[in-house]
Formats: sequence, C-alpha cells, structure tokens
Amino acid sequence: MLRFLVHRTLGAIVVIWAVATLVFFMLRIVPGDPIAAMLFDSSPEMAEILRAKYGLDQPIYVQYVKWFWAILQGDFGTSIYGSRLQVSRLIVEALPRTISLASLSFIVAIIIAVPAGLIAATRKNTAADHTVTVVAFLGLSMPDFWLAIVLIIVFAANLQWLPAIGYVPMSEGFWLWLKHLILPSIAAGTAFSAIVARMIRSSMLEVLKADYMQVARSKGLKEHFLILFHAFPNALIPVITVMGIAFALLMTASVVVENVFVIKGLGRLLIQGILNRDYAVVQGTILVVSALFVFVNLLVDALYAVIDPRIRY
Amino acid sequence: MPHDIRRTTSRLHAHITAEWERAHDFDPRDPMAGLNRQDLCGPQLGRRTVLRLLAASGALTAAHLMPGFAMQNARAATGGTLRCGWSGVGEFRTIDPAQINQVLLFQISSNVLSGLTHINPQLVAEGDLALDWEVNEAGTEYVFNLREGVTFHNGDPFTADDVVYTYQRSSNPDKSIHSRVVGNFAAVERVSDHKVKITLQAPQASLLVKTRERSSGRAMTIVSRGALESMGESEYGLKAVGTGPFRVTDHQLGQSMTLERFENYYDPDRPKLDKVIIKPIIDAEPLAAAMEAGDIQLIGGNPVAPELVDRFVANPDLIVHEVAAPGFQSVWMNPHRDPFRVEDFNKPVAELKQEKGFMVRLAIAKAIDRDRYIKQAQFGRGKPGYGTINPAMGFFFDDQLAETSEQRFDVDEARKLLADAGFPDGDGFPEVKILTTPAQRREVQVITNIIKRNLNIDIGIETKDFPVLIDDFNSMRWDMCRLGSGGDFDPDDGLVDWMQSSSKFNGRNRDKDKMAFGFFSDSTVDKLVEDQRIAPNLDARKKLVQEANKITSDKVASAFVFHPADIQVRSKKVNFPAESRIPGLVDLDRVTLAS
Repeated sequence: MLRFLVHRTLGAIVVIWAVATLVFFMLRIVPGDPIAAMLFDSSPEMAEILRAKYGLDQPIYVQYVKWFWAILQGDFGTSIYGSRLQVSRLIVEALPRTISLASLSFIVAIIIAVPAGLIAATRKNTAADHTVTVVAFLGLSMPDFWLAIVLIIVFAANLQWLPAIGYVPMSEGFWLWLKHLILPSIAAGTAFSAIVARMIRSSMLEVLKADYMQVARSKGLKEHFLILFHAFPNALIPVITVMGIAFALLMTASVVVENVFVIKGLGRLLIQGILNRDYAVVQGTILVVSALFVFVNLLVDALYAVIDPRIRY
Repeated sequence: MPHDIRRTTSRLHAHITAEWERAHDFDPRDPMAGLNRQDLCGPQLGRRTVLRLLAASGALTAAHLMPGFAMQNARAATGGTLRCGWSGVGEFRTIDPAQINQVLLFQISSNVLSGLTHINPQLVAEGDLALDWEVNEAGTEYVFNLREGVTFHNGDPFTADDVVYTYQRSSNPDKSIHSRVVGNFAAVERVSDHKVKITLQAPQASLLVKTRERSSGRAMTIVSRGALESMGESEYGLKAVGTGPFRVTDHQLGQSMTLERFENYYDPDRPKLDKVIIKPIIDAEPLAAAMEAGDIQLIGGNPVAPELVDRFVANPDLIVHEVAAPGFQSVWMNPHRDPFRVEDFNKPVAELKQEKGFMVRLAIAKAIDRDRYIKQAQFGRGKPGYGTINPAMGFFFDDQLAETSEQRFDVDEARKLLADAGFPDGDGFPEVKILTTPAQRREVQVITNIIKRNLNIDIGIETKDFPVLIDDFNSMRWDMCRLGSGGDFDPDDGLVDWMQSSSKFNGRNRDKDKMAFGFFSDSTVDKLVEDQRIAPNLDARKKLVQEANKITSDKVASAFVFHPADIQVRSKKVNFPAESRIPGLVDLDRVTLAS
C-alpha cells in the first residue's frame, strides 16, 4: 500500500506539473493583454513600464523558467491588479470558503442521494422508484444558478429565514457560518445528489442480484439488515469513484454558486483571474485545483481498500 | 401639466441656466478662471467660486445647481450598522488612492481618507484637513494652514510632512497611476508642522478642485506614511489608513469590507453611523434579492442593472433616485472593413452619401429606433443618443440633435440607403458580427433585433471578455463593436478622448501601415475640438462643441445609441442627505438610520 501511495504521489506531481505548464503556455496563447486591460485609458509608455515590471516583455521561455523556479521555492507570484497581493495569500483566503462550501454541499448530496438511491433500488419499478428517478432528472437538469436564485427569493427575500448572500468564517460562530452556507450548499449539492442517487440505484440493482445476496437471504437475514450491511457496502465501490469526482468538482466548479451567493472561493478566484488575464492568479489557482483533483482521486483509490478488504495494491 | 407645476419648472430651469452661465462666465484660456486671489483664499470658498472651479475643471453638473442640493437635517438617531452592496464588482482590489482607477473604489476611499478641502452642506468648499489657505497674486503659490490635533487611524499625527509625502508618492509613476495630475506642481514644501506651500509651474485655477475632492482628486488624497511603511503597499491597498470619518477594520477580499466610526475624527459630530459593511455583488439578481431581503440597505458601485429598477421602484420599502449620468453608448462600425468601408471622411456629407460604405453606416445608424431600444434594453431609463455630448453636461448638450442629425430615426430612408448600397431589403448583406462583452449580450441582442426588423439584415453577436475586447477595439480588430464612455463631465471627455484623429481610444494600437486612421478622422472636427478648448467665451465654446458633435453625428463616427441614467437605490430606513447625492460618490459620513 505504501509503495502504491508513493508511486501514485510521484505520478500525481508529474500530472500537476504537466497541467500547470500547459496552462502557463495556453494563457499566453489566448488573446488579451493584461496590461492593456488594466490600464484601459493610460498611455502606451505606462503600459510598457508595467509590462517590463512584471516581466511580460521577456520571451515566454524566460518567463516560464522564472515562474517555475519561483514555484519550486513556494512563490506563486503576485496578482497584477489592485493591491498586487501574493497569489498564495489569495488562495489561502479562498481555500477555507471553498472547503466549507464543498464539504457541506457534499453532505447535502449524500443526505439526499443515499436514501433516494436505496429506495429506488429496493423498490424497483414502483411509484417510489419512478418518483426518485423523475426528481433525480429534475435535479440534474436544474441549472444551479436558477436553483440558487429561487432559494434566495424563497428563503431569504420572502421568508427571511436565511441570509441571501455572503460568507462568515466558522471562527465567528458555528451557526453564523452554517446559516450562510445552507442555501449555497443546497444549490451546489442538488445536482450531484441526483448523479450519486442514480449511481447508487444501478449499483445496488447489480449487487442485489448477486449470488451472495441470495445466500444471505436464505440464511434468514432481515431485509433492512441485508440492504444496509451486505448490499450497500458492496455497491459503494463504483459509487465512491463518482463521489470522489463530485467532491473534487464541488471544490473547484461551484463558481456560479459562489458568484450568486458572494462567496470568494477558488472557483471565483480562478474565473476572475481568467477574465482579468491575471496570469499569476490563474497559474497559482490551477496548480492548487489540479493538486486537489489528483489527490482526491488518490484518496478514493486508497478508500477502495478500506471499503473492500479484497482489494490490495 | 398643471399651470403651477409648469411655472415652477420654468423658474427652476431659469435658475439653473443662470447659475450655469454664471459659473462658466470666464475665459477658458485664463488658468485662474476669472477668479482673483481674494476669491481663492480660505477658510471657505464662496458658492460662486466653487461653482466656477467645478466648471473650470469640467466637474460641474446640473445636479449641483438644483435648489434641493443642500443639507437635510438628519432625522434619525446616530449609531447603527449600515449594510451596503456594491453592484457589478467581485472584489475591492484596492482603496489606495494612488492605485484607484474605478469610481466604485473611490466611492469607498472617500469615506476613509481625507483631502485638504471638501464641500459642505451649502455646497461651499471649506477646509477638510486645511483650515484656510492663501494664494499669491500670480496664482502660483498656495499656502495651506492645516488642522492641528488631527490623527490618522493608526494614531500617527497628521502634519505638513504627510502632504509632502503624499505629493512625492503621487508624482512617482512607479507608485501612482495619477502622476500626470500633479504634473503642474513645481514643489510642495513644509513650512512648519501645520503649514504647507504648494508651488505651481503655471497658474491653475482647478488646483483646489483637484486637491479638494478627497475622492476624485486622488492624487492629493492624504495617505499615511507610517502606515504605508509598516503595512506595505499591498496591505495598505486593502486597509488604507487615513484621517477620514471611517476606518477600515476588516477587509476580506471578495467578501466584504467593514468600516467603523473613527472615534478621533476631527469633527465630533461625524460620522453618524457606528459601522458600515460593504459587500461586492457581481450578479444583478443576488443584488436585488439581497436588497429585498434586507441583507443590504444601500446600493453603491457600478450602475444598477436596468431590468431591476422597476422592481425596486415597485417596492414600498425602497427609495429609487434617478439623475442623468454623464456618458454615451455607441455601436462602432469599422471603416476599414466591408461593408462599412470609408477611405476618407474628409468630404462633405453629400459626397460621402454617394459611397456604398457610408450608405451602409448611415442606414444602420438611421435604422436604430433609440426609443424602442431604451424601452426594451434599458427598461425606459436613459435618453436617446446622437453624439458624445450628454445631457448631464446641460449647457453643451444639443437637444435638437435628434431632429437635425443625419442619424435621426427614419426607417424608409434607411432602407433606401441600404438598397442604394446594393443590399435591397438586406439581400446579399455580408456576414458581420458585433463585438461585445458577455454582460452586454442581452442589450446588444435588442439592437440587432431592431436592425433586423427595420433593415432585414442579420448581425451576429460575438462576446469577448473585457480585456480581450478592449485589446481588439484599440487594434481595430472588429466589424462592429458595442462600447461607450462614462464619467464624461466636460465636452473634452467625449470629443478629445474619442472623436479626434489622435484620441486615445481612436484605434491607438492599430497597424498604422495598413490603417491611416482609427474608427474616425475628420480634419474639421480635429480643428473644432482644438479650438473649443481655447474658445474666448462660453457661448463660443458651446457653438464649437455642438458643431463638432454634429459633424461626428452626421458623418457617423459611430451609431450613437443612448445616454444612460444614474440610479441610486436605498432602503427607506436610510436617511441619505441630499448633498451626498453627488453623481459618482457615496459619502456616508452624514448618513443615518431610522430608528
């Protein structure tokens, strides 16, 4: 197992480097001059001064070597906009918000998906199954920004139960933190709950047909015990892969929900960096995002062995 | 309109016109704007002097001349927390005055930092950090006596050294993006702890306006050397330390900024509020929902999305206040590409009308039903536009242009022009695209729909993020482009910045070997624009401005579409003094909350 983890970690580092390098060069191919946009109506001379200041007047390979050397030393560079903050600081500030939102959204997704998937599988072709299927498709097809706005209108504007926008760190109070995240988590988690519920259903249907399930039934085990302790753990193997990807996506792809609820997480940081052609921010964020993706997948692989002792690396 | 209302309106119009003309009654070539030493010495400037200075700097608007533009007594108790949403922005990148390049940012910094002077409730400039000042006969030396006992938010005392330091920092292009604003300064010297002398290379009546405005006069907005050195430039940008009524106590970039009452502010009666929380909100719908839910009580920042305004108006808990915004919005057509090609604009309009490219340009400009556009795209707010000179400029605005311009709406004539250009009923019209940002896609769709309806031609829409769009626009890489201007208080902002052959927005990054000019070039306009800057009197300037404006309209420098409105939305619980309703600013030091 240790050998597997070391091997995969080294592989992950290569993948992260490759992604970051690709992004570095792609950013420079994409049209749009960050300095021109930053200064808008200033003089070309001023633009040249700034271009030189940020090293953007140098050949791309020189910029790449300098950037890579800085990365190796833990320096992600500086944003070229406004206060010109260190990118590492921007990421460190955004990360807890993203982790909070992704974790709660993931919990929302699981809370909805597990019972829905189990009910649909165990009551195949019944009204309950059809209802779960329809709701799942609804959840899948509902745009998250639309759901987010509906939630805001209903629960914030009309009922005034929860805040419409914003994020409060947990250090300012657990309930304050939680109530700011309830609506965004539902908005972000619903679509994933639909995917996971469908996966649980199909995986459970496979498992329920397996021979060992017939044996367990013939031993007289109660149906709910059979479902929860025999079928469900075995059905989780394929589901957990989807869950892993879902969690990684929630960490990085909740930009729409972040925008609607005014939460400055990694997704929003990345999108703003792209819109502003803020190279250092985009490169730094992509590096972190790709690391998150790769390591969440690594974690999922490791989890297989925990869930199913037959799996050995 | 009832008779008494008509009479009141007429009196109001006469009053504003008289004030406007008095303010502008000076020789534009006179750097002192007709003011003498006595007029310019402090501790207070008279209303006439202030209006003159505002006029000289191009910052005077009709709003300043409204009788209601004065202090209202605060009805509510002091204290409390005001929650604000800043529209259309994802984060407050900086409130360091040296780096601010957006109105929405100096709306905030104006509450945190101070200038040497500021405007009082009666629209009279009086000392902010300066108690009074003396001007020499030549108008080249200003000696300011500074307030004693003023401290920065970090406890450092404010002295003349801070004024000198601010100047030194602002004049360094590596430190400040406003170095050109203080280009006429010869020196800023400390005379004593609380006395500072500013020496100019040449007389400049607008100096007090430039230093007065603690917000838009960002080059001389006083910064704290001690705080800058201890915090560093980046941190200072996030939590600027000044001597203003509020201090920044928290700033989570992209989340919120918290301002708290500065207990040691030199005026013990201000600010009224204990705390202000400002959240950046990019999207329109969450902004509206937050306002309706009571999460925020006042909207600042970028203009409120037009589709929301009626919703706010219908809400009995909200106040919506509208004034004309200074700007114009246009559809540009590239004269170096077919079917809009014009090799040379230096011809009479009648001659240009014989050219196919010009016929197409004019056909499109004439086919845009501005009223329909404003109704559908701007939800009825704004004024039809036919030139760069906007209604907020009042005196210079040509309200006859809608009738006299070649661009006046006329579908039949537009169709005839298109047919004469070889595209009868739009047949054979080549594939062209209009470049815009994703945020403007909806309203551009309204424009293309109107053109389709009236000319039967299809125009594709291409969206690009603003950094790419502006790069393309400056390089003339577009068929058509939807772009405009804001913050235009003076005719120069429209004509000099956009309509001269050498204007900064006129294809400055184009391939000059292939394109002799940018989107427009006319020698008569170039000369008129130069002449209006040194016109002997106001009426002469107005004549030259309107003449230049009409030529750009007639020759379709662009298809001008509309002039936007400036709309403020706030909860009825927010008592916002009328004097703070300066277009572009959100001064909160006198704002109170209803108990």
